[in-house]
Amino acid sequence: MVDTQRFDLLDPAEVARFGGIEIVAAGVVEGFLTGIHRSPFRGFSVEFTEHRAYQPGDELRYLDWKILARADRLFVKQFEEETNLRAMILVDVSRSMAWRGAPARLTKRAYADRIAAALALILLRQRDATGLITFDDAVREVVPARVKAGQWARVVRGLIRTPDGMRTAAQAALVHVTSLLARRGLVVLISDLLLDRELALTALRYLRHRGHHVIVLHLMDPAEAELTGPPEVRFRDPESAASVVVRPRELARAYGEAVAREISAWRGTCRRHGIAYHHVLTDMPFGVALRLLA
Amino acid sequence: MTFLHPLVLLGLAAAAIPALLHLLERRVPPEAEFPPLRYLSEAERQSARRLKLRHLLLLVLRTALIAVLVLAAARPLVPSRGGGSLVHEPTALAVILDNSPSSGLVIDGRPVLERLKATARASLARATAADRLWLVLADGVARAGTRETLLATVDSVRASALRLDLTAAVRAAARLVDAEPLRAREVHVASDLQRSALGPGRAAVPRGVRVLALAPLERVPENRGIGTIQVTDAAVVVNVVGTPGAKPAPVTVRIAGREVGRGLAAPASAATIPLPALGPGWWSGEATLDPDELRADDRRLFVWRVAPPANVGASANAGAFVSAALAVLEDGRRIRRGRDVFIGDRPASGSKTSIVMPPADAALLGEVNRALAERGCRWRFGPAGTPGPLTGPVAPEGTPVGRRFRLDESGQQPTAALDSVVLARVNGEPWLVRDGSVLLIGSRLDTGWTALPATPGFVPFVDALMNRLARSEAPVGEAEGAARVEFRTRGTDTLGATVFGLDPRESDLTPAAPGLARDVLGADVLEDAAFAAARFAGTGRSDVSGLLLALALLLALVELGVATLSH
Repeated sequence: MVDTQRFDLLDPAEVARFGGIEIVAAGVVEGFLTGIHRSPFRGFSVEFTEHRAYQPGDELRYLDWKILARADRLFVKQFEEETNLRAMILVDVSRSMAWRGAPARLTKRAYADRIAAALALILLRQRDATGLITFDDAVREVVPARVKAGQWARVVRGLIRTPDGMRTAAQAALVHVTSLLARRGLVVLISDLLLDRELALTALRYLRHRGHHVIVLHLMDPAEAELTGPPEVRFRDPESAASVVVRPRELARAYGEAVAREISAWRGTCRRHGIAYHHVLTDMPFGVALRLLA
Repeated sequence: MTFLHPLVLLGLAAAAIPALLHLLERRVPPEAEFPPLRYLSEAERQSARRLKLRHLLLLVLRTALIAVLVLAAARPLVPSRGGGSLVHEPTALAVILDNSPSSGLVIDGRPVLERLKATARASLARATAADRLWLVLADGVARAGTRETLLATVDSVRASALRLDLTAAVRAAARLVDAEPLRAREVHVASDLQRSALGPGRAAVPRGVRVLALAPLERVPENRGIGTIQVTDAAVVVNVVGTPGAKPAPVTVRIAGREVGRGLAAPASAATIPLPALGPGWWSGEATLDPDELRADDRRLFVWRVAPPANVGASANAGAFVSAALAVLEDGRRIRRGRDVFIGDRPASGSKTSIVMPPADAALLGEVNRALAERGCRWRFGPAGTPGPLTGPVAPEGTPVGRRFRLDESGQQPTAALDSVVLARVNGEPWLVRDGSVLLIGSRLDTGWTALPATPGFVPFVDALMNRLARSEAPVGEAEGAARVEFRTRGTDTLGATVFGLDPRESDLTPAAPGLARDVLGADVLEDAAFAAARFAGTGRSDVSGLLLALALLLALVELGVATLSH
């Protein structure tokens, strides 16, 4: 079933039932790459270094036509800078990420883990050095960016090992990235962004200033995008324990407007500073989310 | 504003329920985790004022909705102009339905009574359970009752034989309703408003009591009726009454069903019809007129007794006036000389009946009293009494009596049991007494004692004394009622009779002028339509519960709209 299904286009919760992070991520990547027929992440270098076997998804422009003509084998040319791309995936593991609006959906953390693993697999298949940082209000797990064999397994283990944290403060993790990425690289932040926006943006701007390509993946459960619930309910913040009694039906409209403003603010600010921002709901198929990153 | 069901207003306390629920609600809402609390707080902060206003609006709407529903259930009444109002304030209402004999008048085939009943029925039908109701008929009795019972009474009413004194009836009804502690008091008069129905004086309607009188018909036919009838030994005098100026009408007299004579008389005149010679005994007859629009007064009965003249003797000291009267009666063959009845200043031995006057010399009173006692009389002459007018049916009323002796009763047995009766009084004290075979007179029949001998009624008085009173006969009386004769008997003897008939004033159908009715009755005299409009007009109220229900519906819709928008 795994072979015949396009995991990347299935409902994330359905896909998650087929196995752990590795299986799901691998299945997602396979389907994803099959679908687009090319590698989504191009290297930055132009200096040829070596050949490697063609993999589905590689761009045809990098195919070595001479070898194909001589030996009837598919090889793509690799460039020096491409092998030196260093990517760090930052995954928010705070308490708020362990929430889901419905039992049939994945938690934001589970979704983030799987999308991070899939992304890492794609990058590593391109021989990009890929690392991982998990954080809540502090850095919890660090897997330095490498390209050697077994790196993906380390990344996956890093994700699995990290328990759900407490509060969220991304700036510490973002600052830590700067020490791990000496040269310019790729930084992917996967978080529900329930944090201090100004502080986080300051850190992101700093990364951007250092020349890194920064992608922000804003995860949100559909129940967070649209307020529903009983006539009256006391909502409690799992991180701060603060609570408020509301009547969801009365506040639904204003809440929706507040969420839209928040998303718009993130999107606008990120665009101004050259940061890629993507809003992803946890019922979105993994392939669609990965396509946003491409 | 008043309410038909004021107790329902207690339900207004329910209007506090929304506020109490709002204030006292202690429900613990379910708790749930929700990470993006910051968005929620922001949304709430931005919506707080709008939501507070909306909640306040909902609270006001729900409170108003309950209050309006309760008010509607209490059936509020607001003042309303005109008589079209279906409801009114609690009212004390007396309806006077004049079903006196004149209401039996038939005009264009419709009895006047039907019009009066329709008016009375309409007044009662407009009454509510909060009203206090009376119905006054021609008998003058105020019947209290519910609307339904009084309506049933009205439906069963027929023309009565009794005359209604409208002035007295309105006066009594006005006092009756005035005594009720209700907001409004009205007297509705459904009458043909005969001029003759207005009694003496004015109704003196208390302030705050409205009197509405139905205007009489514009066209009232001329009417003639039999008024009074006097019977003498040889003739019957039939007095015709009715509309002044009406043409004469033939009067027929029948005795024992046989016509004995005819005459012609107009109102305020009399027809004298000779009677045939009849044997001794009680006789009854009737005088009739040709039928007209008012049938009730076209026939009247009369009764008289034919008796042989009494054998009368008088002592020498009976007095000149007595002697003269006896002479007149003898000439008229009303008496004969004899000793069956003897009049003097002491009981006469050998006479069946003695008529005893006090002696001229007071010193002889003791002797007279002893003689009375020997005769078995339980009455005696007492000390001198005070002067005063004469009262009683046997002598001209009010005749002065200047000198008299009191008539005192002796003995232990009650007077009634011994067939002893007081026939006339002065100052409330017996003046003429019959006790068995003795008649005692407190004064001598002399102008030095009483003015009676100088009056025209003296000879009839002596006639009655000799022919009726001495024989223990009561006079023929007249009473108001359906035409009939009732005889008073003792054993096999007939002692007297009462002839029942209509009050002659009922025959004059001339309506009272509106100004006169207004002045005497203190009433607004109104035509049918105006009367209908004026009923309860002073206290007319419109029921606005329907309006309130519409308002409640509007409030409910607004509440639904606001609540839906909130959600």
